[in-house]
Amino acid sequence: MKTIYKLATLTLMMLAASLYGFSQKPPKASGPENLERGVIGPVTSNGSWSGYSTLALIPGAGLIPVTNTNTVLYIGFTAGTEADITNMVLYTTPRGSSTISTVTPITLGGISNPSIDLASATVCPIVEISAVNPCIVRLDPVKLTLSALSDYYFVVYFTANDSNNGALGLTAPSFGQSSLRGSYISGNETTLGVGGSIPSSLSFSAQPYNLMYVMND
Amino acid sequence: MNTFNKLATCALMMLVLAASAFAQAPGPETTLANLTEGQGTIANSGNPQWDGFSELVLIPGASLMGASSSSTALYITFTGGTEADIGNMVLYSTLRGNDAVIKATKVTLGGLSDPSINLTSTSVCPNGAPTVTVPCTIRLDTVKAALTTLDDYYFVIYFTLDTNNEKIVGAGQSVEPGALSGFYLYGDQTRIGAKGAIATNENTDQPAFFLTYVANE
Repeated sequence: MKTIYKLATLTLMMLAASLYGFSQKPPKASGPENLERGVIGPVTSNGSWSGYSTLALIPGAGLIPVTNTNTVLYIGFTAGTEADITNMVLYTTPRGSSTISTVTPITLGGISNPSIDLASATVCPIVEISAVNPCIVRLDPVKLTLSALSDYYFVVYFTANDSNNGALGLTAPSFGQSSLRGSYISGNETTLGVGGSIPSSLSFSAQPYNLMYVMND
Repeated sequence: MNTFNKLATCALMMLVLAASAFAQAPGPETTLANLTEGQGTIANSGNPQWDGFSELVLIPGASLMGASSSSTALYITFTGGTEADIGNMVLYSTLRGNDAVIKATKVTLGGLSDPSINLTSTSVCPNGAPTVTVPCTIRLDTVKAALTTLDDYYFVIYFTLDTNNEKIVGAGQSVEPGALSGFYLYGDQTRIGAKGAIATNENTDQPAFFLTYVANE
């Protein structure tokens, strides 16, 4: 009878092992995932942003089918010691339309008008920043699931009459392979409301300044 | 009776095991998935004579598309030549947007990082010697590494200085390069160690000549 128990135990263990093996799921992609094809390759520097708004188009048509409940925006700096931001927002429009349907505040450290200390090693690990060593800052996650049926415009207004922003350099992509597009305009474009329009004078045919990546974490 | 019990228990256990195996839903099949957008068309213009040259191809972390992968398969394509003599192949990792090497991973074909590829063999190129209309795409050995969106990768292939390599032709100057971009330099660029720097890409976002696809298998 002892032999029977041994055989039974062995068989049950084999059964458990086979069940465990079949129940495994394929591995998931590790780490944060791209929601959109971001800026690729080396960047150059574009300077003097006091009193300007940058507008970056995140096209719904460019979304990678990755499940996300959070959207995280990453912005890049190439020169300067401090970036003084008056406001940051993310506008939602129907795909291909310039009419704003939703306005979502964007923050860093919980505030939408941060001053970013680019000389701090905790903010920019490689000091001093340059086009070769850009400082990439991760903004606060937004509780927003991007939809392929919408377009999104990320807008940052750099405070006017501000010497820090006069010396500020933003990343400007060299390669044209990103799905992101961008433009800029003088004045504060972060105060548009629902029903307002993205300025029609902007073409968004070029790569974006400042915005580098759109990810789920 | 004792023998009967033994036989009965054994038979029952075998039945349970067999039933369990047959009852399993088929295991998750690994599906071929692109990790980044590869080249859409194959061309052959713009190739230099490759003897003594290295090609460096950027696989940007910002372009990864979220497919699950614990391994990475690189595919290279030839459109001319009879034998490719490779001096070495390597996959460098850098931080995203940076040129400093943090890791160098050996890339092999048939276990060798310096293979000679017989392009006239139908076991290598099923349609015989490659042409631009009948290119020969070769899957290198799978690299046991998951690509992360937070890093960039450079696949570097060095072609030995010999007469065979004077005649090889890659897939180059495609009008649909996907997310891959490459450039080439004279000399062996596969020996850069950790903390070394990738040479500056002065060809901007030109399509890659040899690396055509990056997939999970």
